[in-house]
Amino acid sequence: MLKDLLTSKKIILLITGIILLLLLPVVLPLFMQARFYIYLVSLILVSGLFATSLNFVLGFGGIYQFHHGVFYGIGAYAAALMLLKSGLPSWVGFIAGPVVSAILSLIMGLICLRLSKLYFGMLQVSLGSLVWAVVYRWRSFTGGEDGIHGIPIPELISSPTGAYYFTFIVSAVCFFIIYKMINAPFGSVLQGIRDNAIRSEMIGVNVKRHQLAALIIAGFFAGVAGVLFVVVDNSVFPDMLFWTLSMEVMIMCLLGGWHIFIGPLTGAALMILFRTFIGTFTIYWAFIQGIILMIIIFFLPSGVLGYFERKMKPTDKVLKA
Amino acid sequence: MDFIYSIIPPSILCQIFVGLSRTVILFIVSSGMSLILGVLRIPNVFHGSLYMIGAFLAYTITTVCAGSPFGFWLALIISPLVVALIGLAIERGLFQYLYESEHLMLILFTFAFSLVLGDIVKFIWGADYKSVPVPLIFQGFVSLFGGLPFPVYNLFLLAVGPIVAFFLWFLVNKTKIGKIAKAAAVDREMVGAVGINVSWVFAIVFVIGCLLAGLGGALMAPTISVTLGMDHTIIIEAFLIVIIGGLGNMWGALLGALIFGLTQSLGILLWPQFGIIFPYLAVVVVLLIRPTGILKSTW
Amino acid sequence: MLQVNSLSKTFSGFRAVKDTSLEVKKGEIVAVIGPNGAGKTTLFNLITGILKPDSGQVLFKGKDITGLSPHVICKTGMSRSFQVVNVFQRLTVFENVQVAVLAKEKKTWNLFTPSKKLVIDETNRTLESVGLIDKQNNISGALSHGDRKVLEIAIALGGSPEFLILDEPTAGMSPEETARCIELIRHLSKKMGLTILFCEHDMELVFSISNRIMVMVRGASIIQGSCEEVRSNEAVQEAYLGGDATC
Repeated sequence: MLKDLLTSKKIILLITGIILLLLLPVVLPLFMQARFYIYLVSLILVSGLFATSLNFVLGFGGIYQFHHGVFYGIGAYAAALMLLKSGLPSWVGFIAGPVVSAILSLIMGLICLRLSKLYFGMLQVSLGSLVWAVVYRWRSFTGGEDGIHGIPIPELISSPTGAYYFTFIVSAVCFFIIYKMINAPFGSVLQGIRDNAIRSEMIGVNVKRHQLAALIIAGFFAGVAGVLFVVVDNSVFPDMLFWTLSMEVMIMCLLGGWHIFIGPLTGAALMILFRTFIGTFTIYWAFIQGIILMIIIFFLPSGVLGYFERKMKPTDKVLKA
Repeated sequence: MDFIYSIIPPSILCQIFVGLSRTVILFIVSSGMSLILGVLRIPNVFHGSLYMIGAFLAYTITTVCAGSPFGFWLALIISPLVVALIGLAIERGLFQYLYESEHLMLILFTFAFSLVLGDIVKFIWGADYKSVPVPLIFQGFVSLFGGLPFPVYNLFLLAVGPIVAFFLWFLVNKTKIGKIAKAAAVDREMVGAVGINVSWVFAIVFVIGCLLAGLGGALMAPTISVTLGMDHTIIIEAFLIVIIGGLGNMWGALLGALIFGLTQSLGILLWPQFGIIFPYLAVVVVLLIRPTGILKSTW
Repeated sequence: MLQVNSLSKTFSGFRAVKDTSLEVKKGEIVAVIGPNGAGKTTLFNLITGILKPDSGQVLFKGKDITGLSPHVICKTGMSRSFQVVNVFQRLTVFENVQVAVLAKEKKTWNLFTPSKKLVIDETNRTLESVGLIDKQNNISGALSHGDRKVLEIAIALGGSPEFLILDEPTAGMSPEETARCIELIRHLSKKMGLTILFCEHDMELVFSISNRIMVMVRGASIIQGSCEEVRSNEAVQEAYLGGDATC
């Protein structure tokens, strides 16, 4: 009974959330200078998708994906370069982004998955840095350290409101797909691998192959997030694939709670809001970010949502591993 | 000599020596990281911040002692010590309570510290470029290899490398603390069971690692412009070196630093624009052949 | 059903298993006993593919499975439980077994059907047979030790194996739990027709349920035979039962 009530409550919350987000560009201008806030919400959705795609392999797959930013950045660059230089219709560019990310993810996965845990993560950081170095140095093609600005976006989605709706629809679809996958057998197996890889192997699961598939999926959706960033911001820059960004995304996951589906989205929202509003008062945002991170690690290891979830139903789901 | 030049042109030889002096710095920094990684199992992300702090401290000390011939030497002693103290404070104050948590948490925690330390550096020293003068006795160039100029300071670095390597070797193999640390790297509980206070062994190892980071920063300072963000580059380089060498293996760090330093300096000669890519490529090649690094890791 | 021919494994100079042979026939319950460090778990790891043997051969149902990956071996109908509790910590009891069933049914690549709707009956049946059905919604990491050991077996059963390897199934259990576990093993053998190979320190259990016993000492098999033969064998008494009474 209680459980049914809870899920129906969740559904109501979800629908309210969707309606609010849909109405946002209509309602917001009535009260304030909306442009910036619409941009901000778009950014939260993009980062939320980025973090959720990371969490698919990190929180649910237990893979030490330390350099997820590479796939985000490469997706964005692939789309941007296609839009700018290929002359092909723009939807080709939008698809190219995630596909390139997925391919890169496959290649890096094949190399890194020969190792596990920390070794995997550190190897990924090295390979990712290689990709970063290429993008950073290849001035004539990628724009070097300045990146690319003023990327031509199709007219329909080039206004802030248009970009917002595009981002909203695409990310909503992606969230739905990822949610489905986590709750499907593939997701169950992935969580099994996270908890106990040897045991998973012993019940007949080809662990490496499932991990590789998960990495490709995560890379793909990170690529989607990258493309959305291009739509929202009309620019790309090499910092998108620098390792510090990957760390920041991990913080988002941790902040929201990485054993809960909407944890990363929540974390992304909190982090971006903090950054935007604290950033107006001080140039020492990184310091504050570091302190927040330390506080979470010491006191809220299962994240903000994990904390609330435990408060509400102490015996259920949330359990320290 | 001419015979050598006929095989390797002097310009390349010179570049090799530049690479070697770079190797020294990389070795000093990454051996500290490797030490911490091997014994404490922490990939310490703020290791790079400590290196940066070492360099900034060297700047402050040489500025205060400007004109005095001892400024540089003072910096070389004081900045590693201060950095080591910072390391000790962090380890005793916070880190020691986290050894039991997941690796992921530990890494994020060290990353949090790198953010905090980075901003503290920004607060104290500001965001401008700082330059540290090369000490008087090492100023200028000598002509090596068919008359090509070679900075004297780099010769000094080349001399420092073996000394540090020897000290580390001595520390790890000949001292009691080194032996305990080595044993603790393999089996933490066992060492605890025979009545040794593992916690303090960890602290000491951590502090030595930090000291090396600070020393690397101070030594590096005169050759580059000291600035924010130098922590981000060195940390990735140190990570890579430690990986290709074999996690926790001191000689691996030396080998890795050699590969990295040489491919970097020769790469720049070969293809200036993409010079920085060569070390990364070398890393990929090494790891394709030996996924867990060249030498045996302590893990 | 299972035939192990002169299997050997050396860990950096230490010969954990040397020249060990063993045969298990369909429907049998075979026990492996021996003091700690005798190489029992290593032997199981070699059979199930977690470790690759240095030499020797493992035949299962007449097919050579030496050196295959664990997940491949598992698909041939062999399943095992572990000595140290090795369950999926954060999943519920139900999900633990369900994952095994999904793996067996080759549904692990299904990306979009909710797991909730799949293989419920099979999972429930397995849970029922081991008596964990009322605890199916508990998080496995929070179960009592005894329950986790049973869950351990349930996961192994989830893949509906023909051949089951149990590594010290009753280790750390209370006397009541042990009794329940013995019942369970009997049930698996008699009612479900499973062939079982297990190792155990509890001699009473070993002698009460096994058809045949193999004694391992320092990596080598010193005798294989019926309970009586083993009990009366001098070498065993000296090397193991008598000499090391603690087991």
